[in-house]
Amino acid sequence: MLAGLVHWWWSAKLAVFGLAPNVIFAAALSAAILARPAKSICLGFFFGLYLDVLGASMFGGYALSYTLMAYGVYLMKRHLDLASPFSQAVAALVLTVVSTLFYHGLALSLAGASPLRLREFLAEPFLNAALAPLVFHVFLRLKRRSGVL
Amino acid sequence: MNREKDLANYAAVFFVFVSLLFVLFPSARIAQTVRILVSYSLYPSLHYGDNYDHFVRNVPQNILGLLKTDQENRALTGRIKELELSLKAAETVREENARLTQALGLAAHSPLRGVWARVVNKNVQDWYGVVFISKGARDGIAPNSTVIGFENGRMGLAGRVFEVYQDFSKVLLITNGVSSVICSGPGAGFEGLAEGRGTWLLKVNYIPEGTAISEGMELVTSPGGLLFPQGLPVGRVQKVHPKESFMNFITADVAPAVAINALKEVLVVKRELPSDLGAAVK
Repeated sequence: MLAGLVHWWWSAKLAVFGLAPNVIFAAALSAAILARPAKSICLGFFFGLYLDVLGASMFGGYALSYTLMAYGVYLMKRHLDLASPFSQAVAALVLTVVSTLFYHGLALSLAGASPLRLREFLAEPFLNAALAPLVFHVFLRLKRRSGVL
Repeated sequence: MNREKDLANYAAVFFVFVSLLFVLFPSARIAQTVRILVSYSLYPSLHYGDNYDHFVRNVPQNILGLLKTDQENRALTGRIKELELSLKAAETVREENARLTQALGLAAHSPLRGVWARVVNKNVQDWYGVVFISKGARDGIAPNSTVIGFENGRMGLAGRVFEVYQDFSKVLLITNGVSSVICSGPGAGFEGLAEGRGTWLLKVNYIPEGTAISEGMELVTSPGGLLFPQGLPVGRVQKVHPKESFMNFITADVAPAVAINALKEVLVVKRELPSDLGAAVK
């Protein structure tokens, strides 16, 4: 809910030239890094579903992307250290590109059309990479204080 | 550890299966139910968030407004009395007008009536696809209602209501890739299908070869399209593409009549659609 509120506020009030970081993505990634595997996959699914309800295109597309992303992070974090801000930023950068391509590929194959804006595709990974460590830090504090994750 | 691994695998398989179910069968009852349930998570941001944001933003202006209102209130009280007299006279004229219109068999003038709403959210992932507006079922908004945008005193078709919630609604913009509008040039005697492309431009297809269409021409909603009221500005022709040898129609790029990505307030037109059309659109 909180991530949704921040996502709304940022995209409605702070978007510059129609660009804003995807707060929901950063939240899903942070949850995937911090939470236990099953919970992180579940959270990824629901974060994705939230984005699906916000849009008008393929319902379930983001839910699928973020579920797979959470599973990928679960597999990846056994081999990589994702605790440092730099590694989180790199993971966010790569995973934004991968999940965007996956989502639009899926939309293209199922709906026959997928309006992917080049500007968004080029800028969003960097915006997400900048935001992900911050969201991770907030989630980490939440986890330590309340054990919510 | 193994139990946790198994649990993660089961969770992944389960949620991937559920997501695929939604993707492949978006109209299934279960998908619709989930969509409605998840839509409740939009309430904190789209309804309460926007209301409080609007309230806080307008506090200084509201205080000034209250002082001005008090002064105006005194002045207007006298004016109201004068106008009440004029109103009585106008009502008599209107009744007479209605009688004469009926007697002469003229069509009654039906202006666009609706509800004003603020644009409360744009989806950055779908910038030219959808926006959310601050009015919903509680304010009488119905699915497929026409949404009109305004820019510098000009109005233009912005889209149609796609989903209605209690206190807010989702609007499918004309620039959305799945949106299409039947339009025509005023007095030009042709119709074309303006289709969204997910960008700021529309593409008008199926314009008959040899049609007098030129750059700068204004296109309006056609009487042939029952979904929207006729005569609403759709956009202005930006570029006419020459006919390809394998096609028997020409196409054109059209810039929407209002800047779709800068909508702040919109008018949602309350209008009864023919019942069979409403069912078909659903």
